[in-house]
Amino acid sequence: MKIAAKATIAIALTLALAGLGGQGAAAETLTVVTQGGQPGDVQRKTVFEPFTAETGTAIRLDTFNQELARIRTQVETGNLVWDAVSLNPINEAAGCEEGLLEKIDWSKHADAKAFEAVGGFGACGAPYLASPGALVYDSAKLTGDAAPKNWADFWNVAKFPGKRALMYQPDQTLEIALMADGVAPADVVKVLTGPGGVDRAFKKLAEIKQHVKWWKSGDESMQLLLTGEVAMGYGWLGRVNAANASNNRKLRIVWNAGYTNALIYFGVMKGSPRKEAAIKLIAYQLSAPVQARHMEQLGNPPANTAANPLLSEARRAALPDPASRDGMMQAGSTYINFWLDNGDAIRQRFATFVAQ
Amino acid sequence: MTMAAASRELPLVPAPPRSSLAAQVGAAERRHLWRMLALLAPSVLFTALFFAAPLALFMFRSVDNPEIPGHLPRTAAVMQGWSGEGEPNEAAFTALAADLRAIRETPALGLIGRRLNYALPGFRGLLTRTARRLPAEDAGSVKAAFLAIDQKWRDPAVWGVLHQQSGRLTSFYLLTALDLEKSPEGEIRQVAPEQRIFIDLYGRTLTVSLGVTALCLLIAYPVAAVMARAGPRAASWMLMLVLVPFWTSLLVRSTAWVILLQNEGLVNKSLIALGLIDKPLPLIFNRAGVFIAMVHVLLPYAILPIYSVMKGISGNHLRAAASLGAPPLRVFRTVYLPLTLPGVVAGGTLVFVLSVGFYVTPALVGGPGDQMIGYFIAYFTNSAVNWGLASALGAFLLLVVALIYLALGKLVGFDRLRVR
Repeated sequence: MKIAAKATIAIALTLALAGLGGQGAAAETLTVVTQGGQPGDVQRKTVFEPFTAETGTAIRLDTFNQELARIRTQVETGNLVWDAVSLNPINEAAGCEEGLLEKIDWSKHADAKAFEAVGGFGACGAPYLASPGALVYDSAKLTGDAAPKNWADFWNVAKFPGKRALMYQPDQTLEIALMADGVAPADVVKVLTGPGGVDRAFKKLAEIKQHVKWWKSGDESMQLLLTGEVAMGYGWLGRVNAANASNNRKLRIVWNAGYTNALIYFGVMKGSPRKEAAIKLIAYQLSAPVQARHMEQLGNPPANTAANPLLSEARRAALPDPASRDGMMQAGSTYINFWLDNGDAIRQRFATFVAQ
Repeated sequence: MTMAAASRELPLVPAPPRSSLAAQVGAAERRHLWRMLALLAPSVLFTALFFAAPLALFMFRSVDNPEIPGHLPRTAAVMQGWSGEGEPNEAAFTALAADLRAIRETPALGLIGRRLNYALPGFRGLLTRTARRLPAEDAGSVKAAFLAIDQKWRDPAVWGVLHQQSGRLTSFYLLTALDLEKSPEGEIRQVAPEQRIFIDLYGRTLTVSLGVTALCLLIAYPVAAVMARAGPRAASWMLMLVLVPFWTSLLVRSTAWVILLQNEGLVNKSLIALGLIDKPLPLIFNRAGVFIAMVHVLLPYAILPIYSVMKGISGNHLRAAASLGAPPLRVFRTVYLPLTLPGVVAGGTLVFVLSVGFYVTPALVGGPGDQMIGYFIAYFTNSAVNWGLASALGAFLLLVVALIYLALGKLVGFDRLRVR
């Protein structure tokens, strides 16, 4: 009898505590999803932890790899686990169109003018960082005339021997192929989305295919360069910075060969009960001082151009010159619609092409 | 006295009439059966709920076509009555206009665009563009209004897709999973050469799986034989060694192989240091890497069933054969091998079925030419969100495995396929 009574009390207490804990967490905790890894750690230290300290809103972090299905299953079953999600431009557009994200007028929460240079806000998401991808080589191994100057050099296996690293995805890779075929970065979108553009890019890729190591993750792209498995490769700025810093190496980016530039957006899950808190966090992430603090550590260009003057001299020097026309923005309705319409078919063709 | 008489009259167990004995046995057996069923119920229920039902639902997804009849009901109705020949009439355009107006401000437009885009790249853009520019009310010819927005509405392929995809069920995903498509005229044909991918993938998946199975069996058989003959202490040590990698995470094991096998990895460095090779062997991000890593991951599944069968074989059989004058090779061929065959078949089946579904390991250690069907099922499930195609690919994979199992069963007998 005594044991039973004690057990009842214990169970009741546990339930009460669990209930309280659950409710407390529901009111206070935002679940934010990013790609994780080293860039995720930087974001936690420079954005999320200060936000929690300033507002008292706790943040729980989760990671995802841009699998749109994970957002869709949550929204369709009404079982929302996430509140704010970090998205690539294609998923921002697709998720918005298919009603998986809240439509938000971000100009009410941030200075729209400062975001004009990167193409402004999406219908659902706000861009918070730019992620350029470019020609990378190890400047300790290739010096002087042996160092590549442009994508034509990258394609020239006779003069610049060695394997090449490219991404195992057609988006970005087809764009690079067109640049190697002599298309100016500013014209890549027009040529790619125009008649015969995709065929032209595949034809150019076929020239170099047998010398390419295809990477599937940012880590892998750097590993191939660091171990000397490839002579040069396509890589993302954030990864190059991390690889140089943690291995004390001298990987160098050739910005003026032409580079791709993708924006990363923050969106709010459709029907999130913590929409207001999520907007507050994203507005915080978009503000110039936070952008500067975040990008100073991460080494990526801020989406908010007002943050540029707040960066250190050394950091600014490592970024691509915003005034140059070497960058190819992976944005704009022509580009996004092209990939939404043809992405599946091109990815299938790409997988077949690479496997043969 | 009376007591004794009474006790003699009263039997300890009331003697039943002879005729009801059968009934009683029957009743007892029924009770036994019910008890058995009650004990089985949780596992039967569990299997039905968490295995059979999801499997059936997932198979159904490969023919399910809820989007078009659900979101474009008027168009679907008109399309069902249409012959599919020539240009569609005004009624078809009017129905589509009404449907588009009903969904143009909703997420349904995005969903239907994604669905139609699977069948015809560019359909999503055409649909959203048209929905956006469509006037609020029809004035004059609706067909003319559509053509003014986009000349693509004249394309027979566009209407062919709407016509073929308007039913409640569709063969689209199953056909796509076999690199087939329906022409606007309704004929089944192969897709364009650069889009053909899945047949190759099935072939590659089966080749890799068969290769891995053969290698696993070749390595596992002698290991198991040594283990079965070793003393209890040595056997338990060897069992430990087999099981330790078994308990390590798949991801960790696969990544460890990347580190070992890369150009500047331990294997290549040692071989170069020993002077056996002058430049690194390509061991990773190719087929060789896939074989090495998959055989390592799956080896315990081959060793354990073979070992358990070998453990049960009495040494007397072998001694008897030897004492009758059979040379060792003959003893092995006519006595030992047939006795161990059930273990070999069971281990081989296990390894084969598991390797057919592999995708993490080939993704980590293979090149682009080594990806197996599982990789694409995961891709269509997670990233492309094309669950119909993912289901169709899975359904065919299941079918292929089932056919192989049946063929193997016919060949060696089903009782030998059991894993003991």
